[in-house]
Amino acid sequence: MPRRKPGTLLPLETEILDAALSTLSSGQAAFHGFGLAQTMREQSGSRSLTGHGTLYKALSRLEEFGLLTSRWEDTDAVEGRPRRRLYELTGQGAQVAEQARAAAGPGQAPGRLPRIAPGPA
Amino acid sequence: MTPERVAGLVARWVRLYTRGLPAAIAQRRIDEIDADLYDHVAHERAHGTSDWRIAAGIGSRMLRGLAADASWRGRQAKAATDHPLPPEKAMRNHKTAYRSGVGVAIATALFLLWLMGAVGVIGVEGDRADLMYFGVLAVGVVGAVIARFRPSGMARALLATASAQALVAVIALIAGKHQAPNASVAEIVGLNGIFVALFVGSAWLFRRAARRQPPANAGPRA
Repeated sequence: MPRRKPGTLLPLETEILDAALSTLSSGQAAFHGFGLAQTMREQSGSRSLTGHGTLYKALSRLEEFGLLTSRWEDTDAVEGRPRRRLYELTGQGAQVAEQARAAAGPGQAPGRLPRIAPGPA
Repeated sequence: MTPERVAGLVARWVRLYTRGLPAAIAQRRIDEIDADLYDHVAHERAHGTSDWRIAAGIGSRMLRGLAADASWRGRQAKAATDHPLPPEKAMRNHKTAYRSGVGVAIATALFLLWLMGAVGVIGVEGDRADLMYFGVLAVGVVGAVIARFRPSGMARALLATASAQALVAVIALIAGKHQAPNASVAEIVGLNGIFVALFVGSAWLFRRAARRQPPANAGPRA
């Protein structure tokens, strides 16, 4: 994984925010880990899903930065499967994702790494 | 290997690297990965993916995330133990990590022996290439004896064992064992990769035990 410049996001984190923004645009505010990995695979055209450790570590960092929030899904919705942790973009997260998307240009993956408020990693 | 078996292996790995962390943090990671594994298998099955491909996909996700797992664990552990532990707790953690390292190493060795005897790891069942794995186990045993079972030496011995395991996979591929019936490059790399990851996991536990070893003069408090 590339080293983080102080106050900026890593490419994977920008990719996650972009996928979260796409999910939000499709009318679904909340997303879960595997669903996100799937969306990212489709968007990047990759054959493989992001590694478990890589994905969940990045999600927890984005939560620490205040760009995502998370909660456990209601037990009523579970229907015999393990309950999922649901993530949502915060207002700041959506703003950062839009900045990154605008910087990359239409139809492009977010390229530039936006600056964020938190300090160095 | 079925997807459920590989998912079980991932679940055990998660439980291993979250051991000793604050319960809420550990449980959240365990539950989250359990849900991910369930969703992964269900999604791929619904799309008609073969069991072998699902299992390989899950195993590959685990292996590609190992470094991030270790780094995440390090950060969480550091945050949880900003203050030095009292000697009694340090001693307890040291023993737990050492015992876990021994447990993982022995379980991995037994699993390897069972796989060699039951179905064969390389090529078809009974392939003499499997005998190379006795060399892998010998590296571990000799390394442990040379290290006199001290945690830092055990960590190096297990890393050497993992390297030997990887070397066997390379030799098998160079020898063209992936061309045998029912064998493939993915199978040789995947199976050996799992053992490499387990031996590295054991080495990491021994390293943790070495780091948490309390000073020699740290006895129980009066």
